[in-house]
Amino acid sequence: MKRLWIIACLLILVAGATAEPAAEEDDLSALVLKLADEDAVVRAKAIQDLVLTGDHRLEHFFDQYRSGALYLWQGRPVLGGDIRMDDELDEYLPLLDVLSGEPLLSEAGQPLESLIDDVIEVEVGSPERKLARAAKFRVGLASTNPKTRLASVKRLGDPPRKSELLNDLLALHENDPVKKIRYTALESVSLIRMTDASLPPEEREAAARQLGDLDSARALAVLREMVRNKEIPEDRLPAYEAVMVQIEKYQGWVSLFDTIKRGLSSGSILILMALGLAVTFGMMGVINMAHGEMMMIGAYTTFCLQLVFGHTSSEANNWFFVFALPISFLVAAGIGGLIEFGIVRHLYKRPLESLLATFGISLVLIQLIRLVFGDNQASNSPTWLVGYVEVMQDMVLPYGRVFIFLLTVIVVLGIASLMKFTTLGLHMRATMQNRPMAQAMGVNTRMIDLFTFMLGSGIAGVAGCALTTIGGITPDMGQNYIIDSFLVVVAGGVGKLLGVICSGLGLGVISQTLEGYWLSPVWSKIVILMLLVAFIQFKPAGLFPPKGRLADD
Amino acid sequence: MTDRAARLVRHRVLLLVLALFGLVGIPGLYFAKVIDIETVNTLGRYLTYAMVAIGLDLIWGYAGILSLCQALFFAIGAYAMGMFMAHQYTSLDNPAIPQSLYLVYPFEIGETSADAVLPWFWVPFKSFPVALVLAICIPAAVAAIIGFFGFISRVRGVYFAILTQALTVGACLFFGDNDMCLCGTNGLSQFSTFLGVDLGSEKLKLVMYLVSLVSTIGVYLLCRFIVQSRFGRILVAIRDDENTLHFTGYKPHQYKLFVFALSAAIAGLAGALYIPQMQIITPSDMAAIESILIVVWVAVGGRGTLSGAILGALVVNLLYKNLTSPIEVFGLRMWKPDYWPILLGAVFVGVVMFLPRGLLSLPGRLKERKSKVPNPTPKPVEAK
Repeated sequence: MKRLWIIACLLILVAGATAEPAAEEDDLSALVLKLADEDAVVRAKAIQDLVLTGDHRLEHFFDQYRSGALYLWQGRPVLGGDIRMDDELDEYLPLLDVLSGEPLLSEAGQPLESLIDDVIEVEVGSPERKLARAAKFRVGLASTNPKTRLASVKRLGDPPRKSELLNDLLALHENDPVKKIRYTALESVSLIRMTDASLPPEEREAAARQLGDLDSARALAVLREMVRNKEIPEDRLPAYEAVMVQIEKYQGWVSLFDTIKRGLSSGSILILMALGLAVTFGMMGVINMAHGEMMMIGAYTTFCLQLVFGHTSSEANNWFFVFALPISFLVAAGIGGLIEFGIVRHLYKRPLESLLATFGISLVLIQLIRLVFGDNQASNSPTWLVGYVEVMQDMVLPYGRVFIFLLTVIVVLGIASLMKFTTLGLHMRATMQNRPMAQAMGVNTRMIDLFTFMLGSGIAGVAGCALTTIGGITPDMGQNYIIDSFLVVVAGGVGKLLGVICSGLGLGVISQTLEGYWLSPVWSKIVILMLLVAFIQFKPAGLFPPKGRLADD
Repeated sequence: MTDRAARLVRHRVLLLVLALFGLVGIPGLYFAKVIDIETVNTLGRYLTYAMVAIGLDLIWGYAGILSLCQALFFAIGAYAMGMFMAHQYTSLDNPAIPQSLYLVYPFEIGETSADAVLPWFWVPFKSFPVALVLAICIPAAVAAIIGFFGFISRVRGVYFAILTQALTVGACLFFGDNDMCLCGTNGLSQFSTFLGVDLGSEKLKLVMYLVSLVSTIGVYLLCRFIVQSRFGRILVAIRDDENTLHFTGYKPHQYKLFVFALSAAIAGLAGALYIPQMQIITPSDMAAIESILIVVWVAVGGRGTLSGAILGALVVNLLYKNLTSPIEVFGLRMWKPDYWPILLGAVFVGVVMFLPRGLLSLPGRLKERKSKVPNPTPKPVEAK
């Protein structure tokens, strides 16, 4: 608990530090008022002064100003919203705050409106419009928030690539503390230069080479378009093509990285699902067709907690997730326990029938959830897991996927140590290897069965909880995973943790590789099935078959 | 005459009466305008389901092979016959191309529909006898391939069930893929006539019902003959102890292969009879749940009995038909179609838990309870 408090305090500190200091509103208002001055020089000066204040809200303001939404109302500057017409054809203008863009409120708390005739529209001439555009970017470039800076830098490299801010970009490239911004600034500068038809061809080619050295993915699309439109002179074409090859080579590595990343994360989910299946299947010979629904229940538990804690996309309350992991484990384990106790236990000698019965349970669960929650629910993952880290240029690791991978590692380690180092695990292994003998030695195999089933269901619940961070939740989400996880179990061998891990990761990576490079998702699935059927021919008992000479089973 | 033989005779007489009722009674009721043609049509379709169920009972109830791809075989048969029927309703622009194909046809040659070519595998299905033979043989061949690889490497029990289910999912994706020229997820539905008769006509519906009934009886008799023969005893031996049989010198996988292919052929025939009555077949008809449903029919009726499969298929489907529309009692909405999957799931669990030998065992059980005399028939050993 103490640790939680420390984290909470740190969070508050961070939140306090990132809040922007409030600019002096009156000064800004006075400067904005000067935009309505009759003297063009005063107006240009006002724009420059505004830029110098460095207030990030001005980005929005300049956009509005350029589109002519700045008005004077009772001598003060306001922004106008969409004009509303009443029954008598009088036109009203909703009044918005200049800086925040929020509706202005009267003393009674009502949004203010004004007759269109009572406000004066501030004229925007074309020199001002040009200045305002540059000013908007300058504000962005000067922002103290690295994200805003990065976005502005990036946008300058997109069409219409105007060369007016080249010097600012170069300055950023030299001096910015953030590496990514320095890189992007150079990229944008080179993009602007390369596409600038007024520059001599040598300089444009040099810019292209620079982009090649940067391995810029953005440049690749631009270059392709230039080649398609025949903008490049014939004699310089080979140089440009060499640049493209250089970038493509790097992007090949990037897509390999992406494939492995996706493979590992989908493999992680498969492992979480298959772990529980493998253990129950290995121990009781029971196939739990409702296993996918345990995952679904985990996901819906997380969803409910989200509602309880009031976590929405606009208002984050991340604490729900701290509770969601254990609670979805417990809920899924509880329901799994009920199923074992009520049904599976009685069908213990009839595995094929238990397959049917558990399928019936899965039908009931899916439909019950559908009746209660409806068909689709969007889930909001905690903001802690939103975002990504860029390992190398263009190689991005989203936190959500890293989290799922780490969670899988932790769960696998936990299960492995449970099996290996505890008495309970010893009993589980004993029951799995030789049930009658374990019973004879005094192991309560019935209790072990129950516990194993609950454990497997609980892990599936955790998988469901983790899945909410990368996708929406539907009542039949478990169905998408159940067959794949069976395949993992079949390939990995029953009751073998190591086999499940290898085959889970292998299946994930192989299927993502097939999908990423050669085949459509449908065909890659079919190919994987064929591979598995072939695999079973050679290794009927999975990757790591038990040693011994048993005739079967 | 022993008690058991007497029961067998009674059972047969009952079946004969039922078959006669189906052959004479239902058409009679229809001509007397007691039931309408749609009821006859529905019964006809359910009889094709019953055929698939008999096939599954043969392999599951007798040989202990739980296959979760019977719906795939059924759908393949339906697709084969559907392709024949699609040929009867060609496009106006291009009489070589069935109208069905136009929904999804990717024009590979030329830009307009007139330039389209018929995919090569559609060609054989122009003739009815070839289509019918293929509708039976393709499922059998597919089953033989699955069985060959599965049974040789001794994939059995739950493993086999999962394997076949995975294959069904793969096949479902395969049929749903637009590039396969099998009309994608839309399936085959643009039909007009079957063997020159308008598909909407009452005559065709009645005839198709009768054909389905006769085929069902035929399939039942064939399977009954098989299970009572020496071959059938080997099947039961496979179910009860495959290893011992193997060690005695038999090759169980050959028997399994044959019976699995036979059940697939039955399913294919059923599919071929189904499509003229339903007039649509889509990849969703071979989804994983459809195969499991067939298993449920057999389980509900009573497996290892053959007649139980027919009973189960008819009962579950009639329930389904009546319970997927709202029911109001005293003006209150008592039943919503949404509840159907819950009821179905409950039926699964209930039958498996409390009625492991299906509905057919119900009268015997009740009698047993009344007279408190132990059941003279030996309990069948449960399959592994």
